[in-house]
Amino acid sequence: MTARRPLLVAGLAIGLAALAAYPALGTGYGVRAMLQLFMWVALAGSWNLISGLTGYVSFGHIAFFGIGSYAAAILISKAAWPWLAASLAGGAVAAGLALVIGIPCLRLKGPYFAIAMLGLNEVLRVLASYFEGLTGGGLGLSLPTLQATVPIYYAMGATAAAVTLLTYLVVTSRFGLRLMTIREDEIAAEAMGIDTFRHKLGALLLSAVAPGIVGGLAARDQGYIEPISVFPLAMTITMIVMVLFGGKGTVWGPVLGATLLFVFQEAVWARFIYLHQLLFGAIIVAVVLLMPRGVLGLLQLKYRLPRTL
Amino acid sequence: MPVLAVEDVRKSFGGVTAVNGVSFALERGRIYGLIGPNGSGKTTLFNCITGLERLDAGRVRLGDERIDGLRPWQIARRGIGRTFQVIRVFPELTALENLLVVTRGSHAEAERRGRELLAFVKLESLATEYAGNLSYGQQKLVEFTRVLMADPALILLDEPAAGVNRTLLNDLLAAVARLRDEGRTILLVEHDMKVVMGLCETVFVLDHGEKIAEGPPGAIQADERVIEAYFGR
Amino acid sequence: MVGQVIISGILSGALYAMVALGLALIFGVMRVINIAHGPLLMLGAYATFFLWQATGVNPYFTLPVTMAGMFLLGVLLQRALVFRVVDAPELSSLLLTFGISIALVNVAQLAFTSDLRAIEFLTAAWRVGPFAISKSRLIAFVVAAAITAAAFVFLQSTRVGKAIRATSQSREVAMVCGIDVQRIHLLTFGLASALAAAGGTLLAVIVAIQPEMGQVWTFKSFLVIVLGGAGNYPGALLGGLLLGLIEQLSSLFLTTQLSEAVAYVLLVRVLLVRPSGLLGGRST
Repeated sequence: MTARRPLLVAGLAIGLAALAAYPALGTGYGVRAMLQLFMWVALAGSWNLISGLTGYVSFGHIAFFGIGSYAAAILISKAAWPWLAASLAGGAVAAGLALVIGIPCLRLKGPYFAIAMLGLNEVLRVLASYFEGLTGGGLGLSLPTLQATVPIYYAMGATAAAVTLLTYLVVTSRFGLRLMTIREDEIAAEAMGIDTFRHKLGALLLSAVAPGIVGGLAARDQGYIEPISVFPLAMTITMIVMVLFGGKGTVWGPVLGATLLFVFQEAVWARFIYLHQLLFGAIIVAVVLLMPRGVLGLLQLKYRLPRTL
Repeated sequence: MPVLAVEDVRKSFGGVTAVNGVSFALERGRIYGLIGPNGSGKTTLFNCITGLERLDAGRVRLGDERIDGLRPWQIARRGIGRTFQVIRVFPELTALENLLVVTRGSHAEAERRGRELLAFVKLESLATEYAGNLSYGQQKLVEFTRVLMADPALILLDEPAAGVNRTLLNDLLAAVARLRDEGRTILLVEHDMKVVMGLCETVFVLDHGEKIAEGPPGAIQADERVIEAYFGR
Repeated sequence: MVGQVIISGILSGALYAMVALGLALIFGVMRVINIAHGPLLMLGAYATFFLWQATGVNPYFTLPVTMAGMFLLGVLLQRALVFRVVDAPELSSLLLTFGISIALVNVAQLAFTSDLRAIEFLTAAWRVGPFAISKSRLIAFVVAAAITAAAFVFLQSTRVGKAIRATSQSREVAMVCGIDVQRIHLLTFGLASALAAAGGTLLAVIVAIQPEMGQVWTFKSFLVIVLGGAGNYPGALLGGLLLGLIEQLSSLFLTTQLSEAVAYVLLVRVLLVRPSGLLGGRST
C-alpha cells in the first residue's frame, strides 16, 4: 500500500495539472461540459458526506444548492458583490440553513428524515416564488451579463477538489469512522459514548457548504435562476444515483459515479429528449436493483480495498 | 460509596411491567451476577442503567451523580461500558476501527492500544478485517475489547458466555477476573449457572421484574424462592 | 366565510383520507414510502378521462374499471420491482419508487401530451343557505367516504384484511401464523393503487388533468399519515380531515404558498413531538 502511494499522488498531480491546463487547450463546449462535471462531482461528494457516511438520506439535498444560488444571485444583482465572494456567501447561507433545519430534522429517524428533507426542498421552492421583492418570484432573477466561464471553471474545479479532499480527511479520521457507526448501528454507537446527534449535525453542515457555493457559481454561470431551475428534486436524485453507482461511503466513488453518469448523459441520453425521464427512471431502478453498493463498494468488499480508494 | 446504585427502578411497556421497583448497589472491584428466567427484566434493567430506556420511576446513581435521564453517550462517557445480548459490532468497520471509534486524544496512541487489546484476545492478525466478516466468537471478542478500549470503571456484560466455545470462554472469564483485579466493577447477565457461580461474588435474582434474592452464589442456589422461580409452576 | 371554508375542508378531507390510506397500507405493511403513489392517481384520472371521452359514459361509472385496472398495475409493479426492496434500507425503496414515478409521468407525457384536459361534467354548485357546495366535490366526498368505509370493513372483518393488518403489526408473527406474506404484499400494493386510482377518477371531474398532477399527492398523503399516525389506519381518516381543514383555513388567512410552508412545519413538529401521530397508535 505504502509503496503505491507516491505513484497515486503523482497520478493525481498530473490529472489536476491537465484539468488546470484544459481551458487553454480545450473547446468552449468542452470547458462548459467540464464545468458541469465539476459541479456534479461537488454535489455528489457532498451528499456522500452526510448520507453515504451516516446513512441519513438527505432526500432534498438540492435545497442547499438552491438557497446558495438565490443568496449569491441576490448579492450579485442587488448588492453588486463580486461573484466569487457572493458564491462563498452562498455556501455560508447553506450552512446556516443546515444548522437551522438539522437541529429538528436530524432527530427524525429513517424515512421520516428523508421525507422531511424532501419537504424542505419543496417549501423553499414555494417560498422562493413567494418573496417576489427579493427573488423575482416565479419570473426568476436575471444577473448582469458577464463573460467569466474560465474563472468559474477554476472555481468550480477547486470546489470539487476541496470536497474530495474533505471526504478523504473525514473518512480517514475517527470523526468519519464515528459517522459510519451511525450508519451501521446508531444505538450501539450511542451506547459506546458517541454523541451521535452532534456528529450528524457536523456532517450535515460539512455537506451543505459546497452545494451552496456551487449553487452560487452555477447561478453566475447561467446568468438566470428561477425556483424550478434551482430546487429540482431530480437533481437530488441524480447526485444520489451518482454516489450509489460509484460507491457510497468511499472517497473516489462520487467522483467516479459523477463522471460515468455525466459522460453517459452527455453522450447518449441527451439525444433522447422525449424519453429522457423514462430512461432516467430506468437507470435509477437498475442501479438500485443491480448494484446498490456501487462499483467501488463491490471492489472494496471483494478485494478489501481501503475506503480512500 | 457504591460505584453504582440502582434505586427503586420501574419500567413498563404498554401494560406490561418489565422492571418493578428494583434496587441494588455495586461496590468497586467486584463481580456481580444478574440472573433470572427469560423475560424477567434483566436486559431491560441493563437498558435502563445505560440510558437506552427511560425510567418510569426510580433513580440510578454513578458515584454521587444521578445518571438516569442522561443520554446513552453521556452515561458511557462517565464510565459505563456494555456489551449486548445480540452482538452489535459495526460490520462495515474493521476490527481495529471498531475499537478506535470509542477513543479520544492521540490517534497514534489509540491505534497502539487498539492493536494491543486485539493481541490480548489473539485477534491481532484480523485487525484490518471487516468486523462483519468475522466469526461469531471473534465478533464477540471485538465487542468485548471495544468496551475495554473506553476504559470504563463499570462494565455490563449481557450473556458473555452464550455461543462461545470452552477455550474462548475460559480466556474471557480470566480476562474478566483480571479486570476486577484492576479495580473495575463488573455486572453480568448470564444463563450459564457454572459461569455465574464460579465467577460472581454476589448474585441478584430477578423474577417478573422484581428482585427476589441477593447474596453469595452458594446461598442463592439454596434459596427457596429462586428454585421456585426457575423450576416451580 | 369560515363556515364555507370548514365545509370545503371536510369535503376534501375524505378524498385525502382515501388516497392516503393507500400510502399508509404500503408503508404499514412493507415499510416502503411509495413515491409513485401520486402518479398512480394521475393514471387513474387519465383512465377516467379517456373512457368518458370515448364513450360519453358518466365519469363516476368508470370507477370500477379504473380501480380494477390500477389494482392490476399495482400488483405488477410489486411483483416485478418493489418486492426486491422491501427489506432494503429506505434509500433503495425511495429511489426505486421515485424511478417508477418519473417513468410513469414521462410515459403519460408521451402518450397523452402535457395538454390540460378537463371533464365537463357537474360543474354547478348547490346553494345551501349561505353556503355554496360544488356538486362534484360533494359527490367526491360521498364516494371517497364510502370507499374508505368499505376499505375499513375489508381490513376489519375479512380474512385477507386481517392478514394485511397482522402483517403490518409483525411480519414474523404473520409468517408463523401461516400467512403468505408475499401474497399479502402483492394484494396490499394492488389495493393501495386502486385507492389512488379512485382518487384520480374523483379528481378528474374536479380539476384539470395533466401528467404532473400526481406528485403533490404523494407528499400530501404522507402528511396525512403522519398527522394520523403511521401504521394506524383509522388515523388516516383523522389525518385527512385535519389536512383538509388546515389547508382551507390557512389559505383563508395566508396565501397558498405560505400554507404549504405551514403544512411542512406542522409535519416536522408532529414527527418530533408525536412520532406515532396525533391519535397515538403503536409506539416504538
